[in-house]
Order: sequence, then C-alpha cells, then structure tokens
Amino acid sequence: MFALNPNSRQASRAAWVALHYSNYHGASPSGLRALRHVMKVSAKMIADVGVKYYLQFATEDYISGQETGNCFATVLYQKKSKPEVNIKCARTQDQKQIQEEDRRVFQYLRHQTKPITANKIPDSHGNIEHALLPVWALAVAGSSHIMLDKSKENVGYFLAQIRTAKQWIRKDGAVEFEYTILLHKTPTQEMDLCYMNVLWSLHQVLTAKYICASESHQLDDGSGQEFGSAAETLHKKGGNFLQGLSASHTRSMGKLCAQPEAAITFPSKPRYSKRE
Amino acid sequence: MEEIYTWMAHIQNNSELVTQHYLGKTVENRTIYYLQISQPSDKNKKIIWMDCGIHAREWIAPAFCQWFVKEILQNYETDPKIRKFLQNLDLYILPVLNIDGYIYSWDTARLWRKNRSPHMNGTCYGTDLNRNFNSSWGTVGVSYNCSSEIFCGSGPESEPETRAVVQLIESKKNDILCFLTIHSYGQYILTPYGSTNTPPSNNEELMHVAQTAAAALMEKYGTIYEVGSTSLILYSNSGSSRDWAHMIGIPFSYTFELRDKGTYGFVLPDDQIQPTCEETMLAVTTIIDYVDQKYFPGGAMILTSGSLGLSLCLTAVLTLIVP
Ligand SMILES: [Zn+2]
Repeated sequence: MFALNPNSRQASRAAWVALHYSNYHGASPSGLRALRHVMKVSAKMIADVGVKYYLQFATEDYISGQETGNCFATVLYQKKSKPEVNIKCARTQDQKQIQEEDRRVFQYLRHQTKPITANKIPDSHGNIEHALLPVWALAVAGSSHIMLDKSKENVGYFLAQIRTAKQWIRKDGAVEFEYTILLHKTPTQEMDLCYMNVLWSLHQVLTAKYICASESHQLDDGSGQEFGSAAETLHKKGGNFLQGLSASHTRSMGKLCAQPEAAITFPSKPRYSKRE
Repeated sequence: MEEIYTWMAHIQNNSELVTQHYLGKTVENRTIYYLQISQPSDKNKKIIWMDCGIHAREWIAPAFCQWFVKEILQNYETDPKIRKFLQNLDLYILPVLNIDGYIYSWDTARLWRKNRSPHMNGTCYGTDLNRNFNSSWGTVGVSYNCSSEIFCGSGPESEPETRAVVQLIESKKNDILCFLTIHSYGQYILTPYGSTNTPPSNNEELMHVAQTAAAALMEKYGTIYEVGSTSLILYSNSGSSRDWAHMIGIPFSYTFELRDKGTYGFVLPDDQIQPTCEETMLAVTTIIDYVDQKYFPGGAMILTSGSLGLSLCLTAVLTLIVP
C-alpha cells in the first residue's frame, strides 16, 4: 500500500470512476454527484489483477453545485475488465426529498403526450432550458455507465454535450430516451461519439445501452468522410444490440443521427438504418 | 471574433494606457494582435505576459483576457495595488491566439480545439498549438497523427501562430518575468513541467506563489483550485508554451485551467462567466503583485521603514550592551 498525493491526476480520476458508478447505479437523476476534491488516497498493486485505489473525497450536487457530503470508495482497475467499485457516501441532503424529486421528474417525463425531442443540451453557451434539465440529468446517469466501462487508470471521461435526445412514449409506464452524446476523453482530448438508449422505471431501475464510435476522430473538418468508417464500426459493433430494438426505433435512429450541422457529420444515409 | 477585433481597436482609442500591436498572422491569414498596457514612464520596466484562447473551444479564456484588461483600465487610478505594479510592469495581453480555431468553434464545430492548418492534402486539419512549442517537442503526451486532438504538428514551431508568440517573447525574454497562459477546464493552477517529472529549480517558490493565488481566488466564491506541476496533477505533455517559457528563462510560468470541474466543461453557462472572471482576477493579480514585490521591493514603503526602524533600534541596543 502506498499513499498518493490527493491532487494527483490518478486520485481525481479514480474518484470520478467511483462517482460514475454511483451516478449510474443510484438510478436517481435528482441525486447525481460531482467531485469537489479528493482528501485522501492510497493505492495497492494486486498481483495478476490490477491496481486498487482507496479514496476519501468531497462531493457536490451535479446540477446545483451544493455540497452533498463525503464519500469513501475503492476502485479496482482490472487488466481484463471494467473497474470494480465500492462506494459509500454520507448524505447532507434529505434522502426523502431526493426521492420525491425523482418521482416528480419521472411523472413529468412519463406523462408527456408529445415525446420530447431536443438538440444540444447544453447549447454552445451552456444554457439548458429548464424543461430539459431532467433530460440532461437522465443522460448524465446513463452516460455514467459508458464512462465507467471505458475508464482506465490513465484514461478519463466527462459528458461534454448531448447532441440529440428523443423520447419514446411507452405503454408500460417506463421512461425511455434515445441520445447521441459526446464524451470528452482525457488525456487524448478526443470527443467520443456514442449512441445511448436509457430506460428508467422508478424504484431505482435505470439501464443504459450504448454503442460508441470511439476509435475514430469525429472532429474533422465537417466533410463527414471520416465518420463514414466510424458509422461502419458502429454498425458492426451494434449488430446484436440493434436487433433488440423495435423496427420503428431503428428507423428513427437514422433520422435522429442525421444531424446536418457542426462537428459531427453523419453520412446522409446511415447504413444501420436499413437493418429491418 | 469581429467583436473582439472591434473591442481591441476601441479600447486602444479610448485609453491612454493601451496600445494595440501586431503579433503575426494565422494559418488562414488573419491578423493576431496583442494589447500592451503601460503607464508612461522613463523607467526601465519589466513585462507580464498573458495569453488566452490557444485552444478554440475554451471560450471562457478569451472572455477572461478581456475582463482583465477592462478591470485594469477601470481601476488603475483608484486601486493602489494596480497603480503600484503598473509603475514597474507593463502588461502584454493576447486575447485570442488561435483565431482561426476560435472562429471555427463559433461557426461550425463548438468543440474544436486546434488551429486550422491543413495536412495530408487537406484531408485532416489542425495542430494542437499547445503541443507545438520547442520544449521537448514530440516526446510525451502528443500524437503524430494529424486527426488527433493533440497532434503536435510537423515539427517544433511548425505553425505560424506558435512562431508569432515565440518571436515576440524571444525578443523580450530578458524583460519578461511572468508568463501566464489561460485555458479551461478543471480548476487548476499548473506549474512547469508537463514534459518531465523533474521539478524546475525555482519549484518551491512557484508552488508557494500559486498556492497564495489559489487561496485568494477561493476567498471570492469558495471555488477550489488545485495547484501543482502539470505532469503530476493534469497529465504529461510536451511542446507546451508554459514549459517553453520557463525553459527559455522566464521564472514565473503558469497555466490556468478555469472553471468548471467537468459538469459543463467547455460550454460553461453565461451566468458563470462573471464570477469566473472575478475570482480569476484575484489569482492573477496576486501573482503579478508577488512578482512586483520581488523585483521592485522599494515600493513596500511601510514594511521597509518599519524594519529599518527596528534594525536601527537593535543597533542602538547592541551599542549599549557592547560598549
Ligand atoms: Zn486548453
């Protein structure tokens, strides 16, 4: 076991990994946390397995920035699979109040008669329409799953922006959203594009499925040439997952992803839209 | 960007302290200007350098450079601190270095980072200007692939934007005491080096000053900044302007990573711009103040006369004891 500098990049990265875990598994868009600062950290090499971090850190509410109490966590970076996390946090906020807020958000989303669709959350200037805050929060919770899966001891992620969000009205009472999101990866500084489907039913059940075009460099000159190969990868990787979606969903992905503007130019006819 | 050009011209016309100077051209042939703030004096003054907007998508950085200039001009007559350091120091402020990239991030791709130099017959664009300086260029934390966000260019100083900065700084390096380069996000004050774990010779002082600056910043809104060497607390990188400035002999060289910690990241909301600028102002003036005191100690009148009095007293006492 060796002590590390709490300011070190390894410490804050590991603390974020622990928060990705709790933000996803907490299944509570009203109770998301962000890292404030790491107070203590040590690490241990475990032969044939990986490195395990022991952390104590302060957190704040992801959306309001209010202090939300300290966490203790362990993060085990494994050579062969995603990081394994244990985390326990003190709560300075009223737990009942958060649950009540989640319920309110859930009902609000569930009772939309017209499905919500939106582009760019936040927009270029950081604005989020009040009505879209829950859509953002749900994406934070869902993308935490992706970021947890992809994080490594020397690679970290942040949700940079939601490019598109589209709700699916369901008859079973759950809330479903389709997203395309950009993840900011450090230290490579790339923006990874992911497609993500988030399903939320109350009582702490939230699942996110995703495909990322991570090996490409999407931030090209906008000609879209590079994304052609990325879409191919996306298509191949997503084979099984896409079969699980209904025909109408799959059809819509083509439209959803065909954002004409800005950093990412999808091919005009995404190949994966023709799967049905 | 048009607004920034207009603002620079306007501010030069409306203040006796400010002059606009040509720094160089961008890849797309736009003119890069910097502002010089100096009080008329026949004294031999030293220089503080600050640049913003080397990375296109970090919009809060150019906003801060403009805020900084505005604050100095508004307050230099009434704020004794500013008045004092302006007697000894000229401020060189570069509001946007990567103008092409900055415009591209407004018009086309909000999250664009690099400049806009074409490579491989125009099939990919952009060099990371903060990997392009001649400080252990190309050794660590870079990519040689031009489609990477940390592409270090075809060689050290391959980019006109880099060369423009280098040319000016080299010509004045004996007078430049402090080199500040403003980025976002993460809330850090970073010291050299990024390219090696070996600390610079004046590391202790660099750290001390940065910690004082972070403490001053925190007093405003409670925002926590972490302080440390780039390779330790951020990540290893080579070819950065901060490393280069220190390596050519500029003693106080820092990178600022402004708000936030990652929730909004590059798309910092409008309502955080002013508080970010206000708190950063305190950190930056703390550093300038320190540099001023260190190189122009005569200005601290009260302290000097106080300690002078004390030593006179001691001499008197000693004289009495040892006849
Ligand atoms: Zn930057």
